[in-house]
Amino acid sequence: MDFELKYTPEQEAFRKEVRAFLEANIPPGLEEPVDPANLSYEQYLMRRELGRKLGERGWLFPTFPKEYGGGGLPMELAVIIEEELDRYGLSLPPYYNTGGTLGAPCILVWGTEEQKRYFLPPILKGEVRVWQLLTEPGAGSDLASVKTLAVRDGDHYIINGQKTFVGSLHGTDWMWTIVCTDPNGRRHENLSWFMIPADLPGISMTPLDLLTAGGEGGASPGAKFTVYFDNVRVPAFNLIGGENNGWKVATTHLELEHGGAGSIRRNRIVDRLIEYCKTTCRNGQPLSKDPDIRDLLVECYIDAEIGRLFNLRNYWLRHTRRPRTYEGPQASLHRKVSGLRIAEAIVKALGPYALTNDPAWDPSGGHLEVFHRASIVATHPGGTIEIQKVIMARRIGIGRAVREEAGTVV
Amino acid sequence: MDLALTESQEMLKSAARTFMERECPRQVLLDLDRTETGISPEIWRQLARMGWLGLAIPAEYGGEGAGLLDTAIVYEQLGRGPLGGPHFSSAVLGALVVLECGTEDQRREVLPRVAAGEQVLALAYTEPDYGWGPESVKMAARRDGSDYILDGVKLFVHDAAAATHLLCVARTGDGPDPTAGLSVFLVDRSEPGVSVRTLPGFMAGLCEVRFEGVRVPAGAVLGEAGTAWPGLNRAFLKAIPVLCAYKVGATEAVFEMSVSYSQTRVQFGQPIGRFQRVQDHIIDIVNYLDAARWTTYEAIWKLETGRPAEASVHLAKAVASEGLYRACNSAHEVHAGIGSVRNYGLVLYTKASRSLYNYLGDPKFHKRRLADALEL
Repeated sequence: MDFELKYTPEQEAFRKEVRAFLEANIPPGLEEPVDPANLSYEQYLMRRELGRKLGERGWLFPTFPKEYGGGGLPMELAVIIEEELDRYGLSLPPYYNTGGTLGAPCILVWGTEEQKRYFLPPILKGEVRVWQLLTEPGAGSDLASVKTLAVRDGDHYIINGQKTFVGSLHGTDWMWTIVCTDPNGRRHENLSWFMIPADLPGISMTPLDLLTAGGEGGASPGAKFTVYFDNVRVPAFNLIGGENNGWKVATTHLELEHGGAGSIRRNRIVDRLIEYCKTTCRNGQPLSKDPDIRDLLVECYIDAEIGRLFNLRNYWLRHTRRPRTYEGPQASLHRKVSGLRIAEAIVKALGPYALTNDPAWDPSGGHLEVFHRASIVATHPGGTIEIQKVIMARRIGIGRAVREEAGTVV
Repeated sequence: MDLALTESQEMLKSAARTFMERECPRQVLLDLDRTETGISPEIWRQLARMGWLGLAIPAEYGGEGAGLLDTAIVYEQLGRGPLGGPHFSSAVLGALVVLECGTEDQRREVLPRVAAGEQVLALAYTEPDYGWGPESVKMAARRDGSDYILDGVKLFVHDAAAATHLLCVARTGDGPDPTAGLSVFLVDRSEPGVSVRTLPGFMAGLCEVRFEGVRVPAGAVLGEAGTAWPGLNRAFLKAIPVLCAYKVGATEAVFEMSVSYSQTRVQFGQPIGRFQRVQDHIIDIVNYLDAARWTTYEAIWKLETGRPAEASVHLAKAVASEGLYRACNSAHEVHAGIGSVRNYGLVLYTKASRSLYNYLGDPKFHKRRLADALEL
């Protein structure tokens, strides 16, 4: 067993190359704002520019096949890119791109050769940003009940309906979405996936006023919208994975979204909290010397360590293509429930200081207050806590003779 | 990064699993549970023959020199049983204490016998003021000429009734530093003045050990008198993850048992596992299981590769002890009535989860040590 990513001299040489590239191409001012809602349009454009430059080298989607615009790189080199970006507080891609990170693997698994050649290169090279659109007003946890309707009309489909709790700040190029293609069809046999250019006539959107905009992992969205489709004509070519075969495609998508992708990043909130308590004095001593606060900090640290190990295991499982069952939703579940526990511990440890981002009274620079809101909102993106448990139960085979299979991922 | 076992480690795991399935089926374990020592001479001999009493003992002292990871792999399977008895106390913890604290001659004298199963060790460390830190050892050994006289009570000593020899930790020096002045005495259990009594209750193999004017020669001290703490601490740090691996195996068995029961037990016309409230308990169990598994094996990896491992060891012990304890609680909720029937087997794990909860430090102890390691 080896819990550490090890690097050969060639890989370390690659790291130097990546580091030099990032030093040359990450301008000041690109770092993640403490509150993702404050990401400016200029910062967004800078990130897109960085994405394109990474994409030119195949570094935006490093493990994807070269022939479609990926890097064709082994896991170890992909990890090096992620680690180096992490030094800047960035991840791959360096902007919100859920339709790319979740849609591209689906297209790779389920698309025709022609579709792969058409859709993948712009995504993998960073020329387009893609949102994923799943949730509808009437379809949250029960995704299979989506009502947005696509009706065939010659070599197009006409789409009507709405998606909500989707998107991010500063717009998108494409939308990756699941719709109903057979309102009278059987459940799970009436859905289809489309890749939709966002500038088609009939698409409009309105922002949601939220506590904060939760992410599904990766870069934060900063905002969420309701998107309306009003007689939007989409080429039939943009239907991926076959008409009414959308639930099968969703297994790939949802497996990744439910934590199956894994991660080598460490959640820094507990490190920040510990630092805060070691350096902030109340009643004449550092907070970390208070026995109750010490106990709280250790519980938070344990939660963070378990989360790190679940993510590391999932990252390894994915990249070594090992069979998985419940591990993805387990990591997601842990992230959600431990987030709530950690937020509560912060309030217990700091009192009302936990809830202000006033520069005069918040030595964390706003991080703890933002985390508190995010921990509440994070309980639903990619499926609620309850849904993660439902998936785990099916995959484990609790009460069932036949286990449900995990989705195919790349 | 590679979180898989090697091919030879997979073979070792498979051999241990096969051994447990063939030699320690449920009925055998239930019978062993009713014995005072938790083990039978036949199974003890087989453990020795397999080399599993020498896993933590280097080859030059008659052991397998298996390394911590291989030792943990076997212990995970023993925990699945769960197979009780003094194997951990003697062949892992006891052997490591002798290895870390003893002189070369003492190692050569004791360890081959431990590996062969002829000598059985138990660490008499904790006292009525129970605790696993150095400050909790208060019993003093009095110098008398070239001998020492041991007087005092050691309490909640694991597996003393099965032991041939006790490793009694006592103070041979005073001072403000609790880590100074500790010595480990190797005492034959049949020495006059030594009495061992297995404690009754919901625990397996925990004993009261009384030392009443026990005279031992200075040569019974492992290594140099008064300097035992660093060696004891090293032995604890290595032994703890092996105990954690045992708990991982036990938690895994509890998990499988609960899943299986959820599929076959029918109430309200359907398998109870169809009820989400039942599912929640089993999901809790698998979360305890995986948290214990990966914290344990990361700690082992750090120890084996010479990385700073102290924080990871404390983390693993806190997580694995709480995990098994709570996993058993959840399993009892899944099983309800049948779970409390002794012959069903769940109670074996529940008893182990309680008996081993405090062994080498309870979660509170390790969380406080973790706080120290994090320099809070």
